Amino acid sequence: MDKFRMIFQFLQSNQESFMNGICGIMALASAQMYSAFDFNCPCLPGYNAAYSVGILLAPPLVLFLLGLVLNNNVSMLAEEWKRPLGRRAKDPAVLRYMFCSMAQRALIAPVVWVAVTLLDGKCFLCAFCTAVPVAALGNGSLAPALPAPELARLLARVPCPEIYDGDWLLAREVAVRYLRCISQALGWSFVLLTTLLAFVVRSVRPCFTQAAFLKSKYWSHYIDIERKLFDETCTEHAKAFAKVCIQQFFEAVSHDLELGHAHGALATATAASAAHSPTDGAAEERDKLRGITDQGTMNRLLMSWHKCRPPLHLGQEQPLLSNGWAGAGPRAPRREVATYLSRV
Amino acid sequence: MERFRALFQHFQSSSESVTNGLCLLLAALTIKIYSSFDFNCPCLARYNTLYGLGLLLTPPLALFLCGLLVNRQSVVMVEEWHRPVGQRRKDAGIVRYMCSSVLQRALAAPLVWILLALLDGKCFVCAFSNSVDPEKFLDLANMTPSQVQLFLAKVPCKEDELVRDSPARKAVSRYLRCLSQRRYWSNYVDLEQKLFDETCCEHARDFAHRCVLHFFASMRGELRAWGLRRDASHLSPEPAVVPPEPPEDPEDPDSGRRKAHLRAICSREQVDGLLSSWYCSKPPLDLTASPGLWGSGLSRRAPLVAPGTTLSQHTDV
Repeated sequence: MDKFRMIFQFLQSNQESFMNGICGIMALASAQMYSAFDFNCPCLPGYNAAYSVGILLAPPLVLFLLGLVLNNNVSMLAEEWKRPLGRRAKDPAVLRYMFCSMAQRALIAPVVWVAVTLLDGKCFLCAFCTAVPVAALGNGSLAPALPAPELARLLARVPCPEIYDGDWLLAREVAVRYLRCISQALGWSFVLLTTLLAFVVRSVRPCFTQAAFLKSKYWSHYIDIERKLFDETCTEHAKAFAKVCIQQFFEAVSHDLELGHAHGALATATAASAAHSPTDGAAEERDKLRGITDQGTMNRLLMSWHKCRPPLHLGQEQPLLSNGWAGAGPRAPRREVATYLSRV
Repeated sequence: MERFRALFQHFQSSSESVTNGLCLLLAALTIKIYSSFDFNCPCLARYNTLYGLGLLLTPPLALFLCGLLVNRQSVVMVEEWHRPVGQRRKDAGIVRYMCSSVLQRALAAPLVWILLALLDGKCFVCAFSNSVDPEKFLDLANMTPSQVQLFLAKVPCKEDELVRDSPARKAVSRYLRCLSQRRYWSNYVDLEQKLFDETCCEHARDFAHRCVLHFFASMRGELRAWGLRRDASHLSPEPAVVPPEPPEDPEDPDSGRRKAHLRAICSREQVDGLLSSWYCSKPPLDLTASPGLWGSGLSRRAPLVAPGTTLSQHTDV
């Protein structure tokens, strides 16, 4: 347990190493899943290819989707993509960067599955056993005597040693070796190709779009951090809100009880004034509320955050909780005041 | 547990030790992949070489690229190399240093793979089974060339009925496996020295035997001559240390074999010359070289050297 905690701490030390850790775990899980999976070739002419292609392609698809789902940033990407424009423009380069980095990480487990499947060879053997060149590998003279369906039926049983009955035509071991050799060659070529592609993308990219890349990376991190900080701030606010609410409730109840012993407006006034005189702790909590003290206002704040994200420009004092919710400027209230005064 | 924690903390302490840790991890992964990879030589004439060499070279290349990928310094290096100069001038030495450190770390895993493949030997046996010289193995002499090629291609596959239990296959396989091991040459030197000592012992024994026989024969001759001198014979054969032909002893059935052991080196000077030549200039490791370089009868096909010739003249190997 201690070991896992340490590994988690190491991985969580920064976001990127955490995501890399998740990738590594998915890759290992993929390899482990393959070894635990009991491959069972049907050994029938029509079914072999379908089974093999299914085994080769379906789990990688599932692993890819799982990789996307486990990535926290998917919801961030969706949010950034779908939000209304508000006062902050959307940058398609940032969206592309976020999608690419997520897709790259999610592709590792499927690639591992495909590589392990090809290197093992059972899938390939099952799929292509009917396409083995009998003339070259076995008794070529006997092959033409067989009708094609019979030959296919015979060869389809190559992956199943317990039911294979074609040793007179083609030694099973020879066919298995031949197909596994090709499968392993394809597997290693696939591995080489993917690592080459990854290397080229990672190493050649800085030569071309470095400035744009730095920008996209920065704003992508910014969006992530902003979302986290907003969630933290909301949580803090909710906590303070709840504390103050509960305090007020308790105070009201205790004053109600006191009222039960004394009566009259004096008691009510005392109760009211007592309720409104804040203690030190309560003052701190009220500060945390930042002036937002009722449900309606909070709802408006949250709606505004989604519909009209503030611009990426610090230092501008722009009132939000006014008529200008949907983005209208601060000019309207001021003009009203000026007009009113001039009439006087 | 404490050691594990200390190791983790050590690796986290700096980015360089993180990359070292990743390098070690990749090397360990290489070993795991190699041990779990199911080697499958096709045992077909043209495919063997491709498969064997492909397996020896493709995974190291992929591992090298992986090593470059996991190392963040490679991206930093490329960025530093390609950035515009701006207000900070570029130092090529830094880029070179980063390049060399990245390359060194990335080369660890491929070297581990190649080492494992060569020490294991299966790759080598598969790739070069068809390149073996059939003349080295007596069993193959009776087959046609195409049959020989088929046989050699199947050498890596022990289960194939064509080669199962064949002593030639075992010999070829052992021969090839030996070739791939790094320790072959150190074993060879060791064996060569032992064989040389044994041969010298044999030679010394036979030399001594002949010397003694010769001495006795010459003693007999002398006694006879002494007897004959009484009879006024003027023949007094000098006991020669180096007779032109060693005297044949008809009662000794192994005399022919012993003569072969002596290999026509029958004098002290010749033996001294041979020993100093062996020490000063060992022969080349090429058995197909002209035996004339040796000038001696150590190779069976060489003609017998005339006695009195010193070997020190033939040290231009």
